[in-house]
Amino acid sequence: MPVTFTFGEMLSARSVIGTTLAELGETHDNLWVLTPDIGATLVEFRDKYPDRFLDVGLAEQACVGIAAGLAYDGNIPVVSGMLPFLSMRALEQIRSDVCYPNLPVKIIGTHGGLVGNGGSTHYAVEDLALMCALTNMTVTSVGDPAMVGEVIRQSMTMAGPLYIRLAVGKKDKVLYAEGEHDIRIGKGIVARQGTDATIFTHGTTVAQALDAADELAKDGRSVRVVDMFTLKPIDAELIAQCAEETHGRFVVLEDHLAYGGLASRIADVVADRGIHLSAFERLGIPQVYAGFGEDEQLRDKHGYGLAATVAATRRAIAQPAWPTSH
Amino acid sequence: MRDPAVWLTDDDPSVAELEDRAYELRSKLLHLCGTYEGAVHIGGDLSAADIFTALFHHGLNVDPHDISNPRRDRFVLSKGHAAVCMYIAMSMRGFFSYDGIVDTYGQLDSAYGMHPCKVQLPGVEASTGSLGHGLPLAVGMALSARHRGEQHRVVCLLGDGETGEGSVWEAAMAARSNELGNLVAFVDRNRQLMTSFAEERVVFEPYPDKWRAFGWDVVQVDGHDMGQLVGAIDALPATDSDRPTVVICETVKGKGVDFMEHNLAWHAGSLGAADLERAMAALAASRKKETV
Repeated sequence: MPVTFTFGEMLSARSVIGTTLAELGETHDNLWVLTPDIGATLVEFRDKYPDRFLDVGLAEQACVGIAAGLAYDGNIPVVSGMLPFLSMRALEQIRSDVCYPNLPVKIIGTHGGLVGNGGSTHYAVEDLALMCALTNMTVTSVGDPAMVGEVIRQSMTMAGPLYIRLAVGKKDKVLYAEGEHDIRIGKGIVARQGTDATIFTHGTTVAQALDAADELAKDGRSVRVVDMFTLKPIDAELIAQCAEETHGRFVVLEDHLAYGGLASRIADVVADRGIHLSAFERLGIPQVYAGFGEDEQLRDKHGYGLAATVAATRRAIAQPAWPTSH
Repeated sequence: MRDPAVWLTDDDPSVAELEDRAYELRSKLLHLCGTYEGAVHIGGDLSAADIFTALFHHGLNVDPHDISNPRRDRFVLSKGHAAVCMYIAMSMRGFFSYDGIVDTYGQLDSAYGMHPCKVQLPGVEASTGSLGHGLPLAVGMALSARHRGEQHRVVCLLGDGETGEGSVWEAAMAARSNELGNLVAFVDRNRQLMTSFAEERVVFEPYPDKWRAFGWDVVQVDGHDMGQLVGAIDALPATDSDRPTVVICETVKGKGVDFMEHNLAWHAGSLGAADLERAMAALAASRKKETV
């Protein structure tokens, strides 16, 4: 059963995961759900399919290895947990046990970015850099909670591994009305049209980028927002198109290290394709251990909050558009 | 009930025949070690040669002509650096061509590399090499078999050194927690790591108690006594039992070649023509000594 929600409401991405998996468990008798003791929101699946649910306790490495063993035998395992631990403590299992044989294991988890006030042990800030480096891995970062369900559903037919990054997933803003966008893994979503500049973002900061675009609209600025929820494979066509259509003015905003995440993915496309930009603003986490505080406070403190996003976009727009600059 | 009917009907070798095959396996290993110019993990290959022989020529229900049969036993080589010993043991069981292994081992585009890759070499059950990864994979396979009501066994071969990896014990705990009596671990207890002897820098003892403490049934055998290995395999509990079993095989790294035995230098290496001859002579002599 799909979850009922309405556009603009808050919804828990975690409960969407639980509901979606329980729904898919019915149609896929080879779907397994595994967790290293982070299973609170998976109870629906656990109660419906107890023999396909495995809580290994605090053992991320074994959790991913066991998932790979299940996948070798034709199953579709979903590992759900906290990303700072899954992406680093089990990184080698993800790389050598899952990606090397290209097994359909899904890694899905929370705490991507400076979220949850857990401190630096509990913030996954380098996870996307790590995951994007892995051959065969598809990497996503999802902000809209309802979209999480769609991504999981689409992943059922994927042959290889998938990484799904969420923020905290307890209370997330529904960004898109049902059917508003064609959601396809590998394709960016133009969340808002605009012509003066493009803000590329993913996950929890999509909402912030939309707020920044609203703010700038008050001055008559037309800012495009792209929800680049798939970081790998990256939608290079859309990047090229945005360069054409928004005067080569790019702002990249992400709740991840400013170097190594989406900004780096986009910079690679720009370099490889010889795309001419007139502005490239990176907004993300600097090389610091970020400390404690509420999510928004931390973003402000570290230079990628709403005000910084608005300011960076203004700077970008102030740049003369190419080709006139050449 | 397990279903052995389709598997070893044409070939049920006696203990003496298995010993002959283990000797042949060691000879072929040394031959490869004298052919290939790079290093071969010959020490840990020789320590595990009897275990591989007992498994692939007696214990495992596998069919080289039907490598995807869902009822086959699964074998996961956690000590992936012994891949070449597995390739040759499997070639002697009809999976691969020994000549193909010797001719191409380690070369560009060969399926036979230092560590096994399931994608490049179908018939191998898992891609391994990084130590401590095999047992979690085997737990996943055993869970899958349980869930599907299949009666096959999942067998994982580990080196004792790699049981220093925490992931082994995470998996050991998961195996007991999920009552996986269809899972069997063989430990090649050769008491050597790459650069030190066991107990010298890492204290493993009381080793069997460590497994017992994790809720496993422990069987201890001389890993070079074919009769004991066969006996341990034949006495394994039914696959629907509720406790995983570990067979701790006391072995000697470099077994069969006197100058390699208990010698840290021979963790891995290559043999020049003269040393190959010397190794073959030592192997022949060791066999004579044992049969006397």
